[in-house]
Amino acid sequence: MASAAPLNDDTARRNLRTGLIAFAGALAMLGLGYASVPLYRLFCQVTGFGGTTMTATESDAARAAAGVTGQKISIRFDATAAMGMPWTFRPTQPTDTVTIGERDIATYVARNDSDFPITGMATFNVEPEQAGKYFNKIQCFCFTEQTLQPGQEVIMPVLYFVDPAMLDDPNMKGVEQITLSYTFHRSETSQAAAPRSSN
Amino acid sequence: MATTAEGFDAHHDHGHDAHDHADHKPGFFARWFMSTNHKDIGTMYLIFAIIAGIVGGAISGIMRVELAEPGIQYLGWWAQLMGGASDVNTALHMWNVFITAHGLIMVFFMVMPAMIGGFGNWFVPLMIGAPDMAFPRMNNVSFWLTVAGFFSLLFSLFVPGGTGPGAGTGWTVYAPLSTSGSVGPAVDFAIFSLHLAGAGSILGATNFITTIFNMRAPGMTLHKMPLFVWSVLVTAFLLLLALPVLAAAITMLLTDRNFGTTFFNPAGGGDPVLYQHLFWFFGHPEVYIMILPGFGMISQIIATFSRKPVFGYLGMAYAMVAIGVVGFIVWAHHMYTVGLDVNTKMYFTAATMVIAVPTGVKIFSWIATMWGGSLSFKSPMVWSMGFIFLFTVGGVTGVVLANGGIDDNLHDTYYVVAHFHYVLSMGAVFSMFAGFYYWFPKMSGRMHSELLSHIHFWTFFVGVNVIFFPQHFLGMQGMPRRYPDYPEAYHFWHEISTYGYYIMAGSMVFFFVNILYALVAGKKAEANPWGEGATTLEWTLPSPPPYHQFETLPVITDSMDYHDHRPATA
Amino acid sequence: MKNSILALLAAGLAAFAPLSVAAQDAAAPAVAEAVQVVGAQTAPGAEAGVGNLTPAEASAAPAGEGAYIPMAPTEGKGMPTSYEDDPLKSMTFQDQYTANGEYALGMHDYVLLPVITAISLLVLGLLLYVVMRFNRKANPVASKTTHNTAIEVIWTIVPVIILVIIAVPSITLLARQYETPPADAVTIKATGYQWYWGYTYPDHGDIEVISNMLDPAEAVKRGEPGQLAVDNRMVVPAGVPLRIQTTASDVIHAFAVPSLWFKMDAVPGRLNEKLLTIPEPGVYYGQCSELCGARHGFMPIAVEALPPAEFAAWVRAQGGSMPGEEAAAAAPAAPEAAPAAAN
Repeated sequence: MASAAPLNDDTARRNLRTGLIAFAGALAMLGLGYASVPLYRLFCQVTGFGGTTMTATESDAARAAAGVTGQKISIRFDATAAMGMPWTFRPTQPTDTVTIGERDIATYVARNDSDFPITGMATFNVEPEQAGKYFNKIQCFCFTEQTLQPGQEVIMPVLYFVDPAMLDDPNMKGVEQITLSYTFHRSETSQAAAPRSSN
Repeated sequence: MATTAEGFDAHHDHGHDAHDHADHKPGFFARWFMSTNHKDIGTMYLIFAIIAGIVGGAISGIMRVELAEPGIQYLGWWAQLMGGASDVNTALHMWNVFITAHGLIMVFFMVMPAMIGGFGNWFVPLMIGAPDMAFPRMNNVSFWLTVAGFFSLLFSLFVPGGTGPGAGTGWTVYAPLSTSGSVGPAVDFAIFSLHLAGAGSILGATNFITTIFNMRAPGMTLHKMPLFVWSVLVTAFLLLLALPVLAAAITMLLTDRNFGTTFFNPAGGGDPVLYQHLFWFFGHPEVYIMILPGFGMISQIIATFSRKPVFGYLGMAYAMVAIGVVGFIVWAHHMYTVGLDVNTKMYFTAATMVIAVPTGVKIFSWIATMWGGSLSFKSPMVWSMGFIFLFTVGGVTGVVLANGGIDDNLHDTYYVVAHFHYVLSMGAVFSMFAGFYYWFPKMSGRMHSELLSHIHFWTFFVGVNVIFFPQHFLGMQGMPRRYPDYPEAYHFWHEISTYGYYIMAGSMVFFFVNILYALVAGKKAEANPWGEGATTLEWTLPSPPPYHQFETLPVITDSMDYHDHRPATA
Repeated sequence: MKNSILALLAAGLAAFAPLSVAAQDAAAPAVAEAVQVVGAQTAPGAEAGVGNLTPAEASAAPAGEGAYIPMAPTEGKGMPTSYEDDPLKSMTFQDQYTANGEYALGMHDYVLLPVITAISLLVLGLLLYVVMRFNRKANPVASKTTHNTAIEVIWTIVPVIILVIIAVPSITLLARQYETPPADAVTIKATGYQWYWGYTYPDHGDIEVISNMLDPAEAVKRGEPGQLAVDNRMVVPAGVPLRIQTTASDVIHAFAVPSLWFKMDAVPGRLNEKLLTIPEPGVYYGQCSELCGARHGFMPIAVEALPPAEFAAWVRAQGGSMPGEEAAAAAPAAPEAAPAAAN
């Protein structure tokens, strides 16, 4: 502080203290910024925010099955291949009607249209968004990366059930159809492999 | 910069014999490049902001001229000037570069440096009776980081950014347009520019918080501080808490772009919507960062020229605190169309409307301050009154936009453009001109011309209204923002809007002529040129203040209230 | 050849020749790549490949066989109105053609606009009064009043009441907008690409319509508004609920139609959904409303609502089928649901 008016030691010490506390606050917010990535994911997984689906175990499924009332709901299956993903990706049937609480299997078909192997990863959500926390997947091709050889076509199953608890949720009133949507992306790790082509 | 710096030197020299010891100054290079003096740094910030404002304003001119009629007129020419290819996409990319640069420059390199760096540095220490900022050398670092950020942004204009030179992502830098959608280093430089400016602002915020908490003159309790100091304190907290989140978000963008991370890339399990949450968690407090110091200045000015203490001081101070706090929990109203569920949208609609309450308290308190006062319509006062009206207009359109259901139509249209230019380009900018005319005599020691400042006010007032009022119409008719071209139906109001720009640009001539006039031939300013209404500590010092002020700290006695810090001499 | 075209283009640019940016008519194979330069120096139809574009595939099936003729738009319906045509209409919202749109417009016109106008005028009036009543000549000695609890409470409470009054229709509007589509709603998935839209009809034989902007000059020739008209419209049935779903292939786009009070982002990697019912047939124009790169301004949306029977005819003309009909490419039935008790 060469040219500035000199501060007495006490003020300088207090300044340093306040400055450090403030700076620590900034660092904490920086940390929070990074922490928001896992926290946001966790938040979505727990609350179904943004139409995030739930992952369920067999015992969850058994518990849900106990609540079956026989009411039905329509499920729509949607498939998208992202840019640079030369796969044909579609549901084997666009819609299905299932009993709420009972397990069901839906299948998608994916074919690698390119002449090199490609690994893909699927992102997913359901609409309407408030259905996210009632849409439970027991097994899904979206849980892991999928690799297809050139020209290979596979059936990709998803084992799911709709939680009967939705019947008690006023936000789910009037929901007649839930859309389960998947988008297949070329996995980052296989990105370098080969030329891009439009979908 | 050098010319003006010498100009300032000149006045200091005039007053040299009056306060020789306090006015000992280092040599030119040490003074202006290694400066640790809050007033010199404040001056540099103001000059920097004016230069950045000229650049940002010129860019808006390019855009308004392009939009004067349908079709693409000049973009190709600009693209080639910047070294881009001569195809149509490059020309159109140029448009996105302009909107991006205009936004970033005006936000980070014009409004923030002027309000916080310029006026904050100059007057916070003076108003609280401190000899300088708490960390004078860090203050210098803040300034040069901001300058470096500006150069990084300017540099980005000339390197490839995907479809053409420059970063064409909008100031919001949304992923994936800013990641996989923009190949080339331009976006990296633009992001780096935000890092630099952001780091500078975080250091600055730390400095202000420390200064305001620890360096107040004896007896200057928090509840006796002038409202401008309160506004800078709240702003500093917003900066400190919001900017690191932006820093984290844009750092993740950088690593997504360059190092294969997938924070916002769905292919690796990321979510582009998370970027928007992070950006607006910063971005909404940011709009208050840009306006709160303006609130503070308006409070000082209205009180001064009404010769009346500000009405409802505590309400005014805590309204700003309330705005700051609520500003952190309303961010998703910028994302109404992104696919939010109904409850989220209802919450953000309600929370956003709550902000109208403390804002209303401030508007009405300013009017109540004038009520019963003895008003003189000096230049700072007319700008402040213009501010109150135009900020109200911008504020009420904000209430319209706050409604998630209404926003379904208006989102990303010119209505939004009109709204935020009313609160910023008229709110923030009017308060900056008000503050500039208020404190210019104090800073320079010279009086500016009242006539020129009044002409500047009226022409500017007409100009900006002609620019932005028709943009409400365009937005309601459906004109989307960030478009270089439009259907013939929007022609008329776009053309009017461009005429408004010409008026506004012409008006700025009066501003610059006024500064030159004042520096060259302006009357010497007294310590307090504004009369008995000017009661804060800076008016007890000569104009300009000595290089080192308050070597004997002023004492605020119990008999003095928040509104009057003058030594009890008379 | 290409170089000379570029040179020509450069000449046009340097001379500030007006450039019309447009994907050309459906006839050209690489539709979105075609750029027509209209200027004094350049012959109309000069084309230059402009790289970095995802080539738009030609539409799934040419709209042929005379089964479907694109509807002529009605002036002033589903499109912006110019000042010259109607000064007042050019200063407000487009006429609304959905129930929610009318509700929202009513809320704006009868609640929001009067309130914000009144507040602005109140502040202006107070300022003018203060200027006249309390200037230094009129009031040489200032009062020292700094508090008045009653007035402070009033100007805190009254805005709260106003906001509550606004909140009632606002929340109602949101609730209406979030009504979910019935199971049998006609589903259309709009996918945003750089820079065009693709519309798929999963329940109608999975037909896909690729929609590029028409050259503005060509649009005007066809009696459509320039920069809003497209080669292949998103055709929907009027009067029945539609399930509009949006997603994007590359970057974020937004599907927006002002006259239907409809705007929804198209985000890569996720699907958004909203109910839309268009009571009357017509053509409703919109534009992409989220910055998506160079041609953000040139990927318009044209929704053509047809009476259901005509919609069905259009579907068949596209090679699709109506739900329930025997479609040639019907997907095999999915396996029966595994009984819950299996394991």
